[in-house]
Amino acid sequence: MSLTRRHVAFALLTWLPAAAVPVPAAALPQEAKPGDAPVVEAEHDPELEAQVRELASRLRCPTCRALSVQDSPSGMAQEMKDLIREQLKAGKTPEEITAYFVDRYGEWILLKPTAQGFNWTVWLLPVLLLAGGLFFVLMTARRWVEEGRARATALTEDGDEGGV
Amino acid sequence: MTSTIGYISVGGALLLSLAGATLAFVGVRTGNPGMARLARRATYGVFGLATLAIGTMVYALVAHDFSVSYVAQVGSRSTPLFYTVISLWSSLDGSILFWGWIVAGYSAAVVYVYRNRHRGLMPAVTGTLLAVNAFFWLLLAWPANPFTPVWPVPADGPGPNPLLQNHPFMGLHPPLLYLGYVGMAVPFAFGIAALVTGKVGGDWIRAVRRWVMAPWIFLTAGIVAGAWWSYEVLGWGGYWAWDPVENASFLPWLTATAFLHSIMVQERRQTLKTWNILLVIATFVLTLFGTFLTRSGILESVHAFSEGLIGPFFLGFIALVMIVSLALVVWRSDELRSEPALDSIASRETAFLLNNLLFVAFTFTVLLGTMYPILAEAARGVKVSVGAPYFNQMSVPIALLLIFLLGVGPALPWRRGSPELLRKKFLWPTAVALLAGVILFALGARHLLTLFTLTLAVLATGLIVGEFWLPVKARRQNHGEGLGAALATVVNKNRRRHGGYVVHLGVIVMAVGIALSSTYRAETEATLRPGQAVAFEDYTVRLDSLYAGREPHRDFVEAAFSVGSGGSYSGVLRPRLNYYPMSTQPIGTPAVRTRPREDLYLSLMAYAQNGSTATVNIIVNPMVVWIWVGGGICVFGALFAISSMGFVAERFGGRKKKTARETPKPVEAGVGGAD
Repeated sequence: MSLTRRHVAFALLTWLPAAAVPVPAAALPQEAKPGDAPVVEAEHDPELEAQVRELASRLRCPTCRALSVQDSPSGMAQEMKDLIREQLKAGKTPEEITAYFVDRYGEWILLKPTAQGFNWTVWLLPVLLLAGGLFFVLMTARRWVEEGRARATALTEDGDEGGV
Repeated sequence: MTSTIGYISVGGALLLSLAGATLAFVGVRTGNPGMARLARRATYGVFGLATLAIGTMVYALVAHDFSVSYVAQVGSRSTPLFYTVISLWSSLDGSILFWGWIVAGYSAAVVYVYRNRHRGLMPAVTGTLLAVNAFFWLLLAWPANPFTPVWPVPADGPGPNPLLQNHPFMGLHPPLLYLGYVGMAVPFAFGIAALVTGKVGGDWIRAVRRWVMAPWIFLTAGIVAGAWWSYEVLGWGGYWAWDPVENASFLPWLTATAFLHSIMVQERRQTLKTWNILLVIATFVLTLFGTFLTRSGILESVHAFSEGLIGPFFLGFIALVMIVSLALVVWRSDELRSEPALDSIASRETAFLLNNLLFVAFTFTVLLGTMYPILAEAARGVKVSVGAPYFNQMSVPIALLLIFLLGVGPALPWRRGSPELLRKKFLWPTAVALLAGVILFALGARHLLTLFTLTLAVLATGLIVGEFWLPVKARRQNHGEGLGAALATVVNKNRRRHGGYVVHLGVIVMAVGIALSSTYRAETEATLRPGQAVAFEDYTVRLDSLYAGREPHRDFVEAAFSVGSGGSYSGVLRPRLNYYPMSTQPIGTPAVRTRPREDLYLSLMAYAQNGSTATVNIIVNPMVVWIWVGGGICVFGALFAISSMGFVAERFGGRKKKTARETPKPVEAGVGGAD
């Protein structure tokens, strides 16, 4: 079931960073000496990275099937992430950066449909269904309670399982 | 030769299922038991031919008989035997053949198990199942025929999709999912039989119980195994992307779960008859629809859909199933009416109604989100995406309400909840949950949604533990039993109920894993020279070596990283990139070190060709393992629950034959029963 399509797409479209590299025929050194090179700190600016992550997870990786820029390991996504980081560093607001991507790729790049126009259906229908359903459930439960009262007054003996 | 045997078995299965379905429905109409007997034999025959067909295909795959179209499509002489056999389900035609075989197997099993029981229902059940069989054998005989002869015969083939031969889990996840997905045809057949015969009371529900549980267990295990597979193979450190393919497997799971709950209301209170039938119909239609969505190519583009015949075939069959089912429901609407009596809104009945509402709303949301790109393109002419941010935002509130209910529901008694009882059951769990929330906050948990989820999880756990603890306590007082003996007695007295509660506990464990791993995940990327190390979170990751190698079906580049914390290294992780002949892109295999507290997840992203550097993605993923553990608990609980309704209980359990419960006494009489 959950096989082929997505994974074919994945196989073909992700892993771009290494894609440019041809199959190495055991050309690599078999063993490199673990030296005493100092431990480097991972480049990590928590506040900036959180912002990058937030933005990147709302944008679709254009070459993947259903993954966000944040989640995709593809080269395309990595470049987009770098772009987001640079733009944020340069002082652009998240809105401006989003607008830039929408301008380039269309609304399709947003993983969350904007709440406007026809798109309201995808946001509101579930809420309406839930609200209507809740109303219906409460009405049903009340009807059953009334049924219980009606039977309690109608029957003299204890109708423990009144449903039969 | 192989093709000929394939053709004969597929064509034979098609003809026999058509003939059997006709006989069965003639039997329903005339009440002639001879017809029903013939239909039953036809079902065994279909299964025999299906087994011959699939056996032939496996033989063709293993023997590398490239004159068979499917083998030419997915076979390869260099693929290892294991992956050659499982490439049976690596592409469309083969997976439909696998589907056909499973549906034939389920049909034969049901017909055999109930050969002397449920005589009123079984002819119509047999007929419906054979009709479903006929649809799949028609697909296999025509638009998805895997046995089409190929000429000239190629010397070798491309091998299966590289991703499907990258991890042994591929041998497990698809069959589990198929067994779950396809098995939903059985409850559907019972629902239709109930409508056709007008026996919409408790009989079909009792007959169908285990036949919903079995596919539900497979589907649950299949979905969890699929998530695990994604995590171990795809390299992005996640397990669920709300991909349409994943959604397709989740949708019938949701409606089947709703059904498992709502049948308890029908068994106990003789109501929700229409609703239950609609739920099995919906579940079956969603399995067809999911296959249609993921197999017809409609999600990629409308053009892919119109190219193949599979899409129109599925759409036509879905329409037929829906029209026939709904017409039957309308026709039987008088028999389906019923009103039970309640004494209080705070009762388990209300909890079940809310549970069903939430599951249906969940189903609708996922379905709408999955379909919306198609709708939007049709309505607005603009391509839009609906992805994880939408699904997460919409499903988290529903999921939280469900977690609340899965604790509260079992604690509410049927019919009425008296204030004293509610106080007794809710006081301690609520207090402990609030305390846990405060402690977590004091410990630094600042992510409000996660904090709320954890508090709810504690509440639900407390309520469920109470459902074990209170009767155990009563037994110890009244019978003077030890803790273990009392627990065993209580649990064994109603395995279905307590197995269900164990499933609830499993769901809570999963929810905690999902909440924590999605909010407290940390990730970085580093390019290292051999010997160089990087510190991230509490870990130090050092690149030791980078090397290339060759296996029969692929080449690979692997990097060895020493990982540890503080100054010392405690293990080696080897993420790699695999190169398959048929794929120009490498397929990565991440390396994961799993610990109860958190996973360390390394993906090799790139390397310099002279071996001087390797780029690695480092992800620290808290509590992920608990998602798989929770899934395991769910499966275990469900197996325990089913152990009271099946073969084992009937043969060895010493249980009374389950007859209609006209005069059920509360609790003590509830052996294998409803609540």
